[in-house]
Amino acid sequence: MSKRLLLIPLALLLVFSLVAVSCDGDADVTTTPPPTETTVPPPDDYDTRTSIVIGAARPISGPLNMIGDYALGPLLDIWVDQINAAGGLYIDEYDRALPVELIIYDDTSDLGTMTTLLERLILEDQVDFIMPPCSTAFLYAAAPIANEHGYIFLGGEGGCTTLTALLPDLPYVFGVLNYSDYHQIPALADLFVEWGVETVAYIYIADLHGIEYAHTSESEFLLRGIQVVYSEGVPPEAVDLTPQLQAAMNSGADAFCAYTYPPISIFVYGQAMGLGYNPDVFVIGPGANFQFYYAAFGPMTEGLIGFGAWNRQTSPEANALVDLMVAATGDAGLALYGDEEGFLDWWGQLFYYGALQFFEQAIVEAGTLDQAVIRGVMATSTFDTCLGPTWFDMRDGGGGLLALECHPGQVGQWQNGIYEVIGPAANATADAIYPKPPFPAP
Amino acid sequence: MFASILDIIIDGLFMGGIYALLAMGLSLQYGVARVLNVSHGEFIMVGAFLTLALHTGLGMNPILTLVIIGPIIFIVGYLLHRTLFSALLKSSPSTEVFEGKSLLATFGLLFIIQNVAVLIWGSATRSYSYLASPVEIAGAITSLNRMVTLGITIAIGLAFYIFLARSRMGKAIRAAAQDPATAGIMGVNINNVLALCFGFGLLMAGIAGVLYSMCFGFYTTMGLGFTIIAIIVVVLGGLGSIPGSFIGGFILGIVGQITNTFEAELTLAAYYFIFIVLLLVRPKGIMGK
Repeated sequence: MSKRLLLIPLALLLVFSLVAVSCDGDADVTTTPPPTETTVPPPDDYDTRTSIVIGAARPISGPLNMIGDYALGPLLDIWVDQINAAGGLYIDEYDRALPVELIIYDDTSDLGTMTTLLERLILEDQVDFIMPPCSTAFLYAAAPIANEHGYIFLGGEGGCTTLTALLPDLPYVFGVLNYSDYHQIPALADLFVEWGVETVAYIYIADLHGIEYAHTSESEFLLRGIQVVYSEGVPPEAVDLTPQLQAAMNSGADAFCAYTYPPISIFVYGQAMGLGYNPDVFVIGPGANFQFYYAAFGPMTEGLIGFGAWNRQTSPEANALVDLMVAATGDAGLALYGDEEGFLDWWGQLFYYGALQFFEQAIVEAGTLDQAVIRGVMATSTFDTCLGPTWFDMRDGGGGLLALECHPGQVGQWQNGIYEVIGPAANATADAIYPKPPFPAP
Repeated sequence: MFASILDIIIDGLFMGGIYALLAMGLSLQYGVARVLNVSHGEFIMVGAFLTLALHTGLGMNPILTLVIIGPIIFIVGYLLHRTLFSALLKSSPSTEVFEGKSLLATFGLLFIIQNVAVLIWGSATRSYSYLASPVEIAGAITSLNRMVTLGITIAIGLAFYIFLARSRMGKAIRAAAQDPATAGIMGVNINNVLALCFGFGLLMAGIAGVLYSMCFGFYTTMGLGFTIIAIIVVVLGGLGSIPGSFIGGFILGIVGQITNTFEAELTLAAYYFIFIVLLLVRPKGIMGK
């Protein structure tokens, strides 16, 4: 009985072996017809498609407009204009180049409106691609929606500290900008150690951006033995920051940081000047990184630190981007600020444009508008952009972050009207000024 | 570590002065002209940006810009009433209907002014530096521009009160506020008085804008927040009461500063809390009749 049982697997093994041999192309057991070239059927809209439609819910009005209009906003127009001037994006499966159309809805700087409009773009307008909204909290809300619908989500103006933990489950999400723990506060804290800063006071806007920066500061400063002697949240609608500035002043901290959005970032510096509060290190971000900040305060900004960072000296490509921005927004900058670089953002614009150039090349490389295929190209490719060789660090098979090696800088400082990169040392375009000089006489 | 009590009082009085000017303007517009002007705060923004243009463009002293910006905004307000609001008044069968129509009209005005401002001045926060140097008063540190602003607001508030109390025009305005129909029978040119009130209301907002710009950054979409504060102060001071609005502004400024010092995130909540408590306890406001 047991011998019979043993014969059954042996017989099965023999049968499988014969089948395997018959399947081997080199074997002469059976004659198989020569393989024919498999052709992918053209997309359903091969004949009717006239363009590629890209949509976004952005803050055309409301307080976030003063970030959006001076960061990614103008670059989207420049990018689309450049593509269309070159005849469009060549998509292999359509055998032709397709022009790009941009649909921008006004989210009025309201989170609920933004998510509604984003779903409208995806479900009703059925746009081909989407672009990000503006601010950390908005990115955090929009990324899972885009991912759920299988839309590639490039990051925009905002950090990803909280979102990073979710990236393994968000394969379509690609964080673009640098942010608190990636790798700004560590770079800032290293500078503090180098300068001998022992105590820090900071305020933070009471939204996701501020909370992320406050938490990262707490841990990064603690790791380096720097003591936080004062920290306070301020509401997004705050106008008068004098109580917080007076408290920071009374704390005697060596350094003061304001992790706030404009307009608070403007209020805080003007009010510090009024109080004569000028600690050895003064950090404001986002806000100080915009050229319009220099337009507002001029030489008073000397020694002021912000995040970012890049400038014309960063690379020839960065210099070319400034020229591109000046060509597109120079007249408006001159009219509003008497400065043709008035719409420049020395934190994010090099990141955003690099990401857009990367995305454009990934679409062409994929040869299709299929988001899954393009996502695969993005996850595994390196393309040359204004950031140099550019790629994303993918997280556990999920989404990714623009590789740290591609960042042009983390910390910037105003010096003689130029937003110099001062950290990390490898990216620096100038030596840091420490301590911050006194405010010049008005 | 906190700011001292004197710091809080000085900064509270400063903010309160701005609120007081704004609220006096709104009180005139609603208390007398019966226009609940939700575009009121837009004129603080316009005043601020005009100051920036005159200061940075022509090198004019921000305080001196008051003599140019004040009359311009007053004329705009006067003409607005003589055209838009008097047409609405004529076509309205009752005061209630007029109030409803004018409220909607001022909403429209808000969006028009704001959008035109964004087109002209963009959306970024703007500022300039003027008298931004520290001043020490009995150990409290504040800035010189705030002290100058506080002085000007008190002077303007008192001057306007004297104008209303003593001048012939002021008496006509008070008469129109109490009973427009009877005032008309007694020879007061009601249409002219109502338009003057609307013009003076905007003038106050414009002056507040000039003074505000000397101390704070400003941006084109900031107006509505100030309108809301002005409404709270008008209710606090008593509807139609100019002295009430003046005092109410300072009270709200100090309350706001206290909250801002100890728990900044509750500042706006504190304003609304005062508003609700007043509506429940004393709906007529501090000096309402």
